[in-house]
Amino acid sequence: MDIKWRNWLKKGWRAAALAPILLLGGCAHNPYWIFDPKGIMAKTNLFYMIVDVVIMGAIVGLTALLVVWFMWRYQKGKNRGKYDPHWSHSNTIEVFVWGIPIIAVGFLSYFAVKGTFEINPYNPTVITHHMKPNGDPVEVDVIATDWQWLFVYPQYHMAVANELVLPVHTPVFFRLTSSAVTTTFFIPQLVGMIDVMPGMRTKNALLSNHAGEYQGIASDFAGAGTSWMTFKTKMVDKADFSQWVQKVQQAPGTMTYASFNRFAQPYINVNHHVVYFSSVEQGLFDHVMTEVMRGKTWPLPPMMTENMVDYMKKQAAEHRD
Amino acid sequence: MLVDLPGGWSPLLGRLAWSQIPYANPILAPLFVAVVIGAIIVLGLITYYGKWTYLWKEWLTTVDHKKLGVMYIIIGLVMLFRGFIDGLMIRTQQVWAVGPHSSGVFGSLHGYLTPFHFGQVYSAHGLIMILLAATPLLVGFMNIIVPIQIGARDMAYPYLNALGLWITAAAAALIMISLFVGDFAHNGWFEYAPIFEMQYSPGVGVDYWIWTLQLVALGTTLGGINILATIIKMRAPGMSWGKLPIFVWASLSANVIALTSFPALQVALGLVAADRYLGAHFFTAGMGGNLMLYTNLFWIWGHPEVYFVILPAFGMMSEIFPTFSEKPLFGYITMVLASMAIAGVSWLVWLHHFFTMGAGPYVNTAFSVATMLVGIPTGVKVFNWAFTMYRGRLTFNAAMLWAIGALFLLLIGGMTGMMLAIPAINYMVHNSVFVVAHFHSMLLVIVYAIFGSVLYWFPKVFGFKLDEFWAKTMFWLFSAGTALVFVPMYMLGFMGMTRRLEYVFNTGWQPYLDVMEFGIVVYTLSVLAFFILLYVSVRDHAKNRVGADAWGTSRSLEWMTHSPVPFYNFAVLPHINERDEVAWRRQHGIDNVRPEHYEDIHMPNNTGVAIILGGLTFVLGFALTWRIWWLCIVSLLAIIVLMIVRSFRGDPGYIITGAELQRMEEEAYRREAQIADSHHSHPVSGGVVGNAMAYQRNDSSK
Amino acid sequence: MSSHASTVDPKKAELWDTHHHSHDVISTRTLGYFLYLLSDGMLFATLFAAYGVLSYQHSYFGGPTPAEFVKPWYTFAQTIALFLSVLAYGFGMNALKHKNKSGLINGMLAAFVLGVVFLVLDIHDMSHLYSMGITLASSGGMSAFMVLTQVHATHIFFGLIWILVMMAQVMTKGFTEETVGRLLTLRMFWHLQAVIWVFVYIFVYLWGYIS
Repeated sequence: MDIKWRNWLKKGWRAAALAPILLLGGCAHNPYWIFDPKGIMAKTNLFYMIVDVVIMGAIVGLTALLVVWFMWRYQKGKNRGKYDPHWSHSNTIEVFVWGIPIIAVGFLSYFAVKGTFEINPYNPTVITHHMKPNGDPVEVDVIATDWQWLFVYPQYHMAVANELVLPVHTPVFFRLTSSAVTTTFFIPQLVGMIDVMPGMRTKNALLSNHAGEYQGIASDFAGAGTSWMTFKTKMVDKADFSQWVQKVQQAPGTMTYASFNRFAQPYINVNHHVVYFSSVEQGLFDHVMTEVMRGKTWPLPPMMTENMVDYMKKQAAEHRD
Repeated sequence: MLVDLPGGWSPLLGRLAWSQIPYANPILAPLFVAVVIGAIIVLGLITYYGKWTYLWKEWLTTVDHKKLGVMYIIIGLVMLFRGFIDGLMIRTQQVWAVGPHSSGVFGSLHGYLTPFHFGQVYSAHGLIMILLAATPLLVGFMNIIVPIQIGARDMAYPYLNALGLWITAAAAALIMISLFVGDFAHNGWFEYAPIFEMQYSPGVGVDYWIWTLQLVALGTTLGGINILATIIKMRAPGMSWGKLPIFVWASLSANVIALTSFPALQVALGLVAADRYLGAHFFTAGMGGNLMLYTNLFWIWGHPEVYFVILPAFGMMSEIFPTFSEKPLFGYITMVLASMAIAGVSWLVWLHHFFTMGAGPYVNTAFSVATMLVGIPTGVKVFNWAFTMYRGRLTFNAAMLWAIGALFLLLIGGMTGMMLAIPAINYMVHNSVFVVAHFHSMLLVIVYAIFGSVLYWFPKVFGFKLDEFWAKTMFWLFSAGTALVFVPMYMLGFMGMTRRLEYVFNTGWQPYLDVMEFGIVVYTLSVLAFFILLYVSVRDHAKNRVGADAWGTSRSLEWMTHSPVPFYNFAVLPHINERDEVAWRRQHGIDNVRPEHYEDIHMPNNTGVAIILGGLTFVLGFALTWRIWWLCIVSLLAIIVLMIVRSFRGDPGYIITGAELQRMEEEAYRREAQIADSHHSHPVSGGVVGNAMAYQRNDSSK
Repeated sequence: MSSHASTVDPKKAELWDTHHHSHDVISTRTLGYFLYLLSDGMLFATLFAAYGVLSYQHSYFGGPTPAEFVKPWYTFAQTIALFLSVLAYGFGMNALKHKNKSGLINGMLAAFVLGVVFLVLDIHDMSHLYSMGITLASSGGMSAFMVLTQVHATHIFFGLIWILVMMAQVMTKGFTEETVGRLLTLRMFWHLQAVIWVFVYIFVYLWGYIS
């Protein structure tokens, strides 16, 4: 029943959402990433959004109409409604005035609780309860630096900077930490936001059945390079994924504790450099976390904060190459 | 124990050096020249017209709650303008720096602001709008209106009131000077841990941010204590709690929040300062620090602060709706309960500002449900305003339009707020511009309520109405701007655009950003309309003069005394019989009954101590920012010594005799009769703004 | 509920405050000061919350913990000094009831001296820790420990200045409405600091010593 209702809501929403989208230039693909989920996590988010908008929209819309009607009916000099200069209380109305919000909040609370457990980043039941036998989950260790993303694939002993490639129909489990400051990991069409914090480990997961390229964003301000701290997420077939893994494993670069130390130096990735690392030193993720907890930092030189002009000139020169 | 500083430090000037003055910055340098020229012109004009004595005696040293309130509002409006300019700069950068092929000027890769400068602009925008525009504007209105509404002659502590104002002014001055000396923080108005640590923000920006906020917190706490004590202790005889005007209830609940929540901010900032100045490890990622503690502490204050600013705005709307509906507020008791409920729940919801931090589902759902509970009293308020209009007789003048606009924005903001309250939705839009659009909807409720109140209470304070045509023009332009900026912003939120982007990587968002830029132009026109409104209204003030009850349908006590309000508020304190005392007296035809005789009253003296202390706190904040230790010690000692000296001298106050009161009252009644007589024939002279009777004390009465 | 059910006869209603009552200055002041103390209490509550979060084993990051350096008897001496100071102030306020100026001055002087004893013990303790290399930069846990205890000590320091000022004011001005009001608010302040010290002593020193 639940699923049916969900489908019904979805269809209704599609129909309603399509009209303005078509008006807005009729792009080939839907520019509304949130309304166009390609992963089960994002899809669940959208479902709850629709429920909330339907319930609240009904109440808010009716209230707005009520206010407009009162404004029309009781305008001074028009004599459309009866004027009662002393009327200021009614128990019946009070019951509705308190009752409607209480019922609405109670109803939405149920969905709030349910939804929070369904897409709990540490144990998303929408994924874990429907784990299919076709394919073991892929694990990815995400390390955010100032201002790049390093995606470590511990199962394949390899890593990629600033690009995420994942197989479809396969649950993906992330562990996330940061070497510098707090930011947020976000792929609008696949999975919601989760904070990435230095010296700490958060988790998230995603599952997508749609091959394609999706935008990944550092959605929390992390300093000067935040705007360029984006990454493409490519969902590919399993065969393509294996091929890609082999390609990365033949790349020249490697990632050791020492080379991570250099990699984590502040760098604004204006050219969206993607780097492959064919091997990764065992336990890099835990190593970075422990180092940061011990007080290791990669401080920003003043030229990357106070006076960015010189740094941007340097970057612009790099841009032209 | 003190931390090592990147860059130089000298004992005499601390971190301050010539290189910290951005004289080469193509935006700031011309602005600085303009500010200097403007200041010279203003100071020159004051000198030319010989107004220094007047300014010092009547304004800078005053302890009159109305003048202090007016000055709070002036600070608020100036900072609102500054914040608006920041907003304009943000929008312009984002509409310009879209896609890899967008051009860049002034050393920026894209657009015209480097990331660091852009960060400063939006950080200042947020901090200013919430703490130095909305807060002073609301505190100003509470200052002016609350004592009159409860039938008091002044606040409980007039000197403390002046001190609160001047400390707030010092905070405003500190953030303004950060434009031209050094930098402001670039990490957002609420900062993040650990990006504010020395390693990631080596400059003075975060220090400016710390001390500005500390000063605001101090000023607001002092103001909050004052308003609470005033409401509890200074009510006119007969005014029981059940007869308290609704705006006073709103102020009471708001200041309960302020009093209890601002200490949390002061601690959070103090610990950040300990990290940055003493090398402590409260919020560092390593060495046993806990960066999530900062976020919790900040929002334990931050969320109550949000309600601290919205509750007085609700109170303003609750005053405007009944007056222009010509009937009492619907559901007074539930309105009071709702205000108190919002104040109470405000303490239980802070975690919804960081659902994405990775707390477990039990924690997240608890705070999610608590957050949605806020929707209940807020919904009740909306319905009560609607039913206040029901069976009413509505006049849609400009003040009412602003209030209705606030009501509709509250519906939109409330609806999106209910979306954000659910973690399953929040994960998708948490750091997106959807959130930005949501809280702008809510903060615009406050702005709308404030502009409504400016129109509504202006005649009470200055004795003449503002021009209706320009007020309405401004309203429609402003509302068009709101729609053009925030509808595309909501849409961009659904497209996944995140906030604080200095460079917009998705060219598909360009059209929406264009519309928003156009919206900001419309906003600019509305600012222009506001200036014209002020000019036209002052020019035509003689035509628009009003008597005690400016609107003819007013209900609460402030409309019983003269407009402009005399410095003693009420010659004889009224005895309160009903909740809407003025409406009740008018209804029974006893609104023209005058007191039979006047007795001597006691008033506090002016004092220059408050403004000097404010100046010293500014010096202290500046010295702390730049780590000029000797100046810190000197200014702190000066503050302590001055406070002790003041406590020895005390304030005996002075007496206004009954005869003198009678003379002033008769003059006021005569003028009111004249206004009533000649309302449509020839304008009444006298009582000009700067020269209003309200602000003149006969010196012989000292 | 609404105003049409008027319970007051407008013809006979009292419209003006004819009794001309003036507001009670002392009670208004003490109320305001009580409100300030509420916010001061919130300040300490927040500091205690921060200390609670930062007093886990890992917060000390392998560095010194309070268990290693807290001397309960030393801190108990501080406690006694502060309590006796409050008691002495209480005797002084008792003298105020009998308009006994010299009794008040003696009580306040004793309160001042005992407060100084407290502060000197605190400063000695801190400099001792500093000489052992234990500062607030040692670890997150030590930061919380130091800041909480020293913020309290700062309150005591300003309280001592205030006691001196009040002694001077009572000697020069006698018992005026203003000085008596300030003596009452100072008493509230001094009591609150003692109460907070109880929490500091139990939850920071003793608890830290045990764990």
